[in-house]
Amino acid sequence: MDLFLQTLVNGILIGGILICLTIGFQLTFGVLHVIDFAVGGWTMLGGYTAYWLVTLAGIDPFISIFLVFALFLLIGRGLGPLIYHVRTSRYARPDLMALAFTFGIFLFMRGGALWLWSYNSRSVESVLSGQFLSLGPVTIPLMRLSAFVMALLFSLGLFILLYRSRFGMAVRALAQNHDHAGLMGVDVKRVSAWVYGIYTALTASAGVLIATVYSVNPSVGIRYTLFAFFVAVLAGLGSVGGVLVAGLALGLLEAYVATYIGARYSLLIVFGTLYLTLLVAPKGVLGRGI
Amino acid sequence: MSHKFSRRKFLRNSILGTGAMTLGFPALNVNAKEHKIRVGVVTSLSGANRFGGNLTRRGYDLWAEEINKLGGIEIEGERYPVEMFYGDAQSRPASGADAAERLIIQDEVDVLFGPYTSGVTLAVQPISQKYRVPMISGSAESPNVWLAKPAFNFGMIPAVDLTTDKSMMVLAENLGDRAKTASVIGVDEPFSKETAEGFRKGVEESGLDLLSYELFPAGSDLSAIVSKLKSENPDIVAIGGHEDIFINFVSTAKALNYKPKAMIMHYGVTSAAFIKETGTDSNGILGVSVWTEGLPYKDELFGTASDYSDLSFSRWGTRPDYTEAACSASGLVLQDAARRLGKAPPWDQGTRAELAKAIEDTDIETFYGPVGFAKEGNHFHNNTKPVPVVIQIKNGDVVPVAPENASKGELVYPIPGTS
Repeated sequence: MDLFLQTLVNGILIGGILICLTIGFQLTFGVLHVIDFAVGGWTMLGGYTAYWLVTLAGIDPFISIFLVFALFLLIGRGLGPLIYHVRTSRYARPDLMALAFTFGIFLFMRGGALWLWSYNSRSVESVLSGQFLSLGPVTIPLMRLSAFVMALLFSLGLFILLYRSRFGMAVRALAQNHDHAGLMGVDVKRVSAWVYGIYTALTASAGVLIATVYSVNPSVGIRYTLFAFFVAVLAGLGSVGGVLVAGLALGLLEAYVATYIGARYSLLIVFGTLYLTLLVAPKGVLGRGI
Repeated sequence: MSHKFSRRKFLRNSILGTGAMTLGFPALNVNAKEHKIRVGVVTSLSGANRFGGNLTRRGYDLWAEEINKLGGIEIEGERYPVEMFYGDAQSRPASGADAAERLIIQDEVDVLFGPYTSGVTLAVQPISQKYRVPMISGSAESPNVWLAKPAFNFGMIPAVDLTTDKSMMVLAENLGDRAKTASVIGVDEPFSKETAEGFRKGVEESGLDLLSYELFPAGSDLSAIVSKLKSENPDIVAIGGHEDIFINFVSTAKALNYKPKAMIMHYGVTSAAFIKETGTDSNGILGVSVWTEGLPYKDELFGTASDYSDLSFSRWGTRPDYTEAACSASGLVLQDAARRLGKAPPWDQGTRAELAKAIEDTDIETFYGPVGFAKEGNHFHNNTKPVPVVIQIKNGDVVPVAPENASKGELVYPIPGTS
């Protein structure tokens, strides 16, 4: 029973990490209709930025996460018009071109990370690293708990932004129809660029937490890209709400399979479940986008 | 006297001159080469494995520099300097094979020194076989490298299944009755899985109870695995993987309030990067090393293991690990085989085959330890002689703790702060 409860906690906390990773990715797909292959790259760069800030300036990740958010908001905002340009290109298959473009960005990030930080894994130390809370037989790692709380805050903040602000209304209008939103006076290019900025900021901030929970090296990017993609597909591409359900479901599934069936089969069963879910509900767990 | 310009004479002289140069150049070239032994190094100088690749290069280069200080390799009383050529495998097997072919065809190397990773080694093996160029590998550790019984490839480091198996037995013998159970985990990928399987074999052979054996995909969240280990509470936890898994295991275990009595890992645990990233949490962690500077081995070129370490430190600014040492020792194997071969370079295909035979018959003592290649079985042409050293990290230092002849300190068991 103790192990069962511990597994429940482990699963929920893994779910929190998956939610952090995917929430921005969903937003950018919902609005820009771009499957951003660079999602793992932004996560990795967020982690490395936190690593630099803690080793060079002694800034704890819980403070640097705000700096990372602001920095990547600007970087994403700067890159947004390019993504928009590629995605709305008049040439053949702009959707695939956008995928290829973001893949190129990802390769550039990976190569840059190898050059700057070499191949070794880097740990990002925080005041909460290694700290835990004991509740009877269950141990709750505080760093993972804070990642889970952060995931909830990210989601809440995003919902407030989308449903309680004029900017959010413009974003939702864009998600529904770019042309109509433009005709109603929404500056499509500008809003799209900000959406990309918010996405990179959220994902890089998630990278800070992930690097603190695990570690960061140049090869982690592709792994996080895959995870983000699987959670997003299960959630329903573009569904921000679905990420909460899908992230928790995949986290719990991974933890219980690893504990009671065998860690070797965890990814097989997770992806098998994903496949079956999509056969039954192709639009994802909530059946709708933004 | 007439100096009238004749176009016919000019053309004739030009053709004759060009012909003479074309025919004469190879002779000059051969003449220039014949007093040198041309060694090709195929390793990863760029890409994901460039760090390890450069370690191999350092090891090979150090040997070349030292032997050239003496005038080169001695064959039948004459000294032949060594000239090094490099091919970048770019951390990719296919590029490694291309680089090897280029070294053999364009640079006409007499012998190859092998790549950093087992994957690239497996890709280069058929090239060395095709051109009959002996290849001495100072790094590849996967047992798969030797399964195909490569006639021209020789490995200096015992395959990982041998080192982990033996090290677990050494550890169990040292702990005696204090340790009765063990659990083994490992990443489900070639090298790590073979490491874990070696540990499992060692557990079974040493009479410990194996509580669990678990493989997991690379990049898995380790919280479930750590929670399971915590509930099993084995005396020894053995982990097959690379540094990133060890770092994640140590941090996940700490966050879940779990510290086993003994943790043993393999590749990377002795690296400065691992110790730096895990900080004080690395204290007490055990590792396996084929070689350390404290071992009582020596040879004529490098002196003792400690002398070699000092030399490497003065040349490169860092202490060598066992990969660098094995790579430098590859040169000693070549030296010895060339001396026994007794034929001056350059070596044609037939002579290179004889050289491969001479390498196969190697039986020498070096600063790296004894070298002798298996002539049959699943570890064909792998140097199976070295006995692995169990090391323990103590306050950031890597201290050999077993077996007794290599020990420089007491094995701390259980690790202070054990759950």
